[in-house]
Amino acid sequence: MPGNVSSTTPARNSRFQSRVTGSLVVPWLKMTGVIAIILVALAAPMMTSDYILTFLLQLFMMLALAQSWNLISGMTGYVSFGHTAFFGVGAYTGALILTAGLPLTACLTPTSLPWFLSVLFGLAILCGAAVSFLVALPLGILTLRLKGPYFAIAMLGVNEIGRMVATLWVDLTEGGDGITLSPAVLPDISVTYYAMFFLGAAATGLVAWIHHSRFGLELRTIREDEGAAEMIGVNTTRDKVLAFLLSATIPGAVGVVYVMYTSFVDPHSAFTPILNLQMIVIVLLGGTGTIWGPVLGAVIIMGFREFLWAEFPAAHLALLGVLVILVVFYMPRGILGLMDKRKAMPLSHSTNHAPTKEPMP
Amino acid sequence: MESLDILFIVQLLIAGLLAGALYALLACGLNLVFGVMRIINVAHAELMLIGAYFAYVLYTFFGLHPLISLVIVVPVLFGLGQLMQRLFIERVVGQHELSSLILTYGLSIVLMNLGLAVFSADFKSIPVLQGSIVLGEMITIPITRSTAALVAIVITLMVYLFLKKTRLGKAIRATSEHPKVAEICGIDVVRVRMLTFGLATAMAGAAGVMLSTIYSFSPETGADFILKCFAIIIIGGMGSFSGAFAGGILLGVAEALVAGFFTTQWSEMVAYALLVLVLLIRPTGLRGIAYAR
Repeated sequence: MPGNVSSTTPARNSRFQSRVTGSLVVPWLKMTGVIAIILVALAAPMMTSDYILTFLLQLFMMLALAQSWNLISGMTGYVSFGHTAFFGVGAYTGALILTAGLPLTACLTPTSLPWFLSVLFGLAILCGAAVSFLVALPLGILTLRLKGPYFAIAMLGVNEIGRMVATLWVDLTEGGDGITLSPAVLPDISVTYYAMFFLGAAATGLVAWIHHSRFGLELRTIREDEGAAEMIGVNTTRDKVLAFLLSATIPGAVGVVYVMYTSFVDPHSAFTPILNLQMIVIVLLGGTGTIWGPVLGAVIIMGFREFLWAEFPAAHLALLGVLVILVVFYMPRGILGLMDKRKAMPLSHSTNHAPTKEPMP
Repeated sequence: MESLDILFIVQLLIAGLLAGALYALLACGLNLVFGVMRIINVAHAELMLIGAYFAYVLYTFFGLHPLISLVIVVPVLFGLGQLMQRLFIERVVGQHELSSLILTYGLSIVLMNLGLAVFSADFKSIPVLQGSIVLGEMITIPITRSTAALVAIVITLMVYLFLKKTRLGKAIRATSEHPKVAEICGIDVVRVRMLTFGLATAMAGAAGVMLSTIYSFSPETGADFILKCFAIIIIGGMGSFSGAFAGGILLGVAEALVAGFFTTQWSEMVAYALLVLVLLIRPTGLRGIAYAR
């Protein structure tokens, strides 16, 4: 969990390291806040209705996905437009493993069944993460050893490839019909909720841990100036690929839990680009590369979506697009950046080929 | 049998060249913008669709032939591109890649959803050009495709000559090579960037008009094209005009060959296969400038 408030801006964190560690009261306040949130979230299934539980489940799902995007794109500045692909891969892996487990449930006694199912769920989630990892490995090695926009461009296509494979490989995925799961291998909503909460919390924890580690510092150095990072001895390729792999495993696991919740997966729902848009909006709105930015962004965006935008499904996407543009122009460092009163560091790149313009307003 | 095979291959090559010319027109504009501003315009295919829908509107309401509406669409999109550069893109020039990529991504989402709201997700087309030219006994060339390819090649060539032969074109190339030195030499780089984005938008618009005569299109068609364009500019080399042209033709031909010998579904994957191959063997592309940040 994070140590202090001031570390919300990574660029500054490296510069003012000695100053920010001075404050001792803030970390305790923050710790208490975090523990309170966790306790409330843990108690939620016993106290609230299914509707609120479902909402929270989706909130944690988006939080985990947004944090995973934050891990690669927020921290290193390498934009991923295809993160949904890993979610889709996870969803399909989960659906296939749960389906494979179905025949086995018939030959089990009622006492051993719950044990078998919990092992099956755990296995499915692990496999989802593992398969995502394996898909990400060649992608990362291929595109991240190069500087520049190769990664962003390649990732744009990855999601389309995923959708294409899911549609065309009918023997495995049943094509456009999708896979419907039997209720016999699906967990209770509260189990799914806890799993999703765990993933959201774990993703946030991972980002926090990396943020405060040497690895995180290296990643931010890459974002600010990759050439300089290389010069001072940072193994940029290894760092970028590692960050990408960690970031890809989270959506893989989330996809599995998502399938446990919806009990259905088809190419359209698993590889929807909208999910990626939402991840980007959440992270940008809250604050790119920060620990708490995505949490804040997820609460705001999911709240908005629930109360307002569910009414206009078509306009909702255009509004998200407009929001993205506005945030890039007026709040490049997100809400957390706005709240930070000290003079803002522009996101500009001193070594960029194009001339450096005045910082964004 | 032997001659049949050769005729079949020639037919495929011609089909590939014709499709490739359109890709080339689209990708050249994208690469022009990248060369001058180091910005990947994710909304480039949506600009193309603006052209296509513009031609569609002119055709349905005024009965204008797409080839005539080209005269209207291209200047209007040239202006629109300059406006977009002024209002949006200029603000992220020189910023971190994150800003420009996400900004243009946001623009593409907004444009696509505006398109969905105005024109719905139904596929539209402008079926004005028909028939085909028959060469010999086996080779047939559809008139739609050859007209589109001809227009595409003429426009690409005109832009190329503009870049090579005129003072303004020289200013664009200078800005692309080194913006700071260009500015010191008295080039108004802000204007050059407006001009560049205007040109790229106009090229995309022209590609859209020609596209509307060949394929049916919907606001969501952009995704396929932008992905292919990205593959093309990596294959050809990022920032290189001639590389984008070569890459476009190469992709068109490769797709046609794969579609001819295997299936159409496989041909959708050709762009990615070529992309992976180029990234493995020659990351700077056929004619690319080394990308240094």
